[in-house]
Amino acid sequence: MLVPQMLRLGVQSIPIALFIAVFTGIVLALLASYIFTGTVPLYFVGALVGKTIMMELGPVLTGMALAGRVGASIAAELGTMKVTEQVDALETLAFDPASYLVVPRVLAATLMFPVVTAFAIALGVVTGWITAVNLLDLSTVEFVKGLRMFYVPKDLWFGLLKAASFGAAVALAGSLRGLSTAGGARGVGRETTRAVVLGCEAILVLDAFWALVLL
Amino acid sequence: MTTPRSNFTVGLAVLGAIAVVIAAAIWLGDLSPGGPRTLEVARFRTLGGVGVGDPVVLRGVKVGRVEAIRLAADDWVEADLRISQPDEVPPNPVAIAVSASLFGEWQVAVMDSARAPTDPDIRRELRDARIDAGDRWPGATLPDVGQLTAQASRIASDVAAITNRIEGAVDSVAISDIRSSVRDLRRMADQLVSFTQQQTGQLERVVDNAATSSGQIARASGHLETTLSRIDSSTSAGEIDAMVRDAREAASELKQASGDLRLVTSTARDQRERLVSILANTDSALSRLNRGEGTLGMLSADTMLYREATRTVVQLRSLLADIQANPRRYFRFSVF
Repeated sequence: MLVPQMLRLGVQSIPIALFIAVFTGIVLALLASYIFTGTVPLYFVGALVGKTIMMELGPVLTGMALAGRVGASIAAELGTMKVTEQVDALETLAFDPASYLVVPRVLAATLMFPVVTAFAIALGVVTGWITAVNLLDLSTVEFVKGLRMFYVPKDLWFGLLKAASFGAAVALAGSLRGLSTAGGARGVGRETTRAVVLGCEAILVLDAFWALVLL
Repeated sequence: MTTPRSNFTVGLAVLGAIAVVIAAAIWLGDLSPGGPRTLEVARFRTLGGVGVGDPVVLRGVKVGRVEAIRLAADDWVEADLRISQPDEVPPNPVAIAVSASLFGEWQVAVMDSARAPTDPDIRRELRDARIDAGDRWPGATLPDVGQLTAQASRIASDVAAITNRIEGAVDSVAISDIRSSVRDLRRMADQLVSFTQQQTGQLERVVDNAATSSGQIARASGHLETTLSRIDSSTSAGEIDAMVRDAREAASELKQASGDLRLVTSTARDQRERLVSILANTDSALSRLNRGEGTLGMLSADTMLYREATRTVVQLRSLLADIQANPRRYFRFSVF
């Protein structure tokens, strides 16, 4: 049960995460250039792009996107199973719905969110670098200098740890709302929406929590 | 439903992500997975802004990272330095924590103790850190931008104090004193010129009178001699009368000369009194100056002003030289 969920929740979410990362990198590079020009050496564009994507925007934006995609998917799937009494059938067959339906999804999301986020971070930094080189008066050497100047290993594992916690929260929110569904198709839609909102809220709360704890 | 294809896809994604993370960590951290690496411990009184992960540089080249920082006994701070090129480390190394840029970055510079900064505080820190250090490297911390800013602020305060003193020295009272002194001197000079002219005129008159008197006396003497010669003969009448008349005229002219001399003496006395008054005023002003009274007196008597000005100039010169040599140390802009 785990691998299919990893494939569905993780691997198939990579495109949307990369799409977001591309534009995040571009915007960050341009924004950093706008802020720093005339005040700070432009090689700090690399520092800002790297730090921000690794520690904040990569995990959070990817988590938000996946909260919509994965959270809604889990809530809709489990909600439909609930309203069509498939969950009841599992219980009748002596399957524990939590361990049979929820645990694989939560595990898959917890494992795959960092994977997706890692790709997003890498692509975001690369697009930031390409933007800086092509659209700004910045060389590759300067960008890399800024990128390395403020890098500490904690930046990377901090972002990935946050992504894992976001994955667990999003999957749990989707599962919780899905298994609470009642009222037919309308109930499924309502709980799906609630799952997405709850997942986004959980991401923001966890983001602040990790910042308080680890920074 | 698990299929070999899905297993492969998931595995590929996971492995790809792991590879990306490892490659990024190595590349961004500028790490060298191979080669010798040693862990050295340096101890400091304070580490300034050095944090875990900050670079360790040798002659300006990055040779490692700060791996850990911990508090140690006796108020020491110990830092673990991971050195990737231990062969290049000098035989008698010291670790100096320095600000690496204007933007809040710090690094630990490793150098031979002979090449350590000559600042007395740094030398003292290194001496203290060397005592009972064992295998640990002695460390010291150069002042950060905040401390330098505080020092610059103190220098600015000194300059402001000196400026205030100078401003006080040339305040309205001092200017009034100086103007009064100049006026007194000018008046004194005028009086001296007038006195000299008066004395010159009087003396000329005295000389003229004296010449006249001496001529008259000479004539009187001639007359007297004639008279005496004539008295001997006592032949002509009226000669005695002429002699007496001449003597009267001479006495009258001598009386006039005496009056002129009295006038000269009186004028000289007046001028002397005025000169004494002027000199007394001047002496009073100079006495106040010597006693350190008044702004000019304070300025001339206060050696601290001179010392502060000299010290401030030296500090400013040192600060400028240090700013030119290490401009990054004086400006700090922390982005993160």
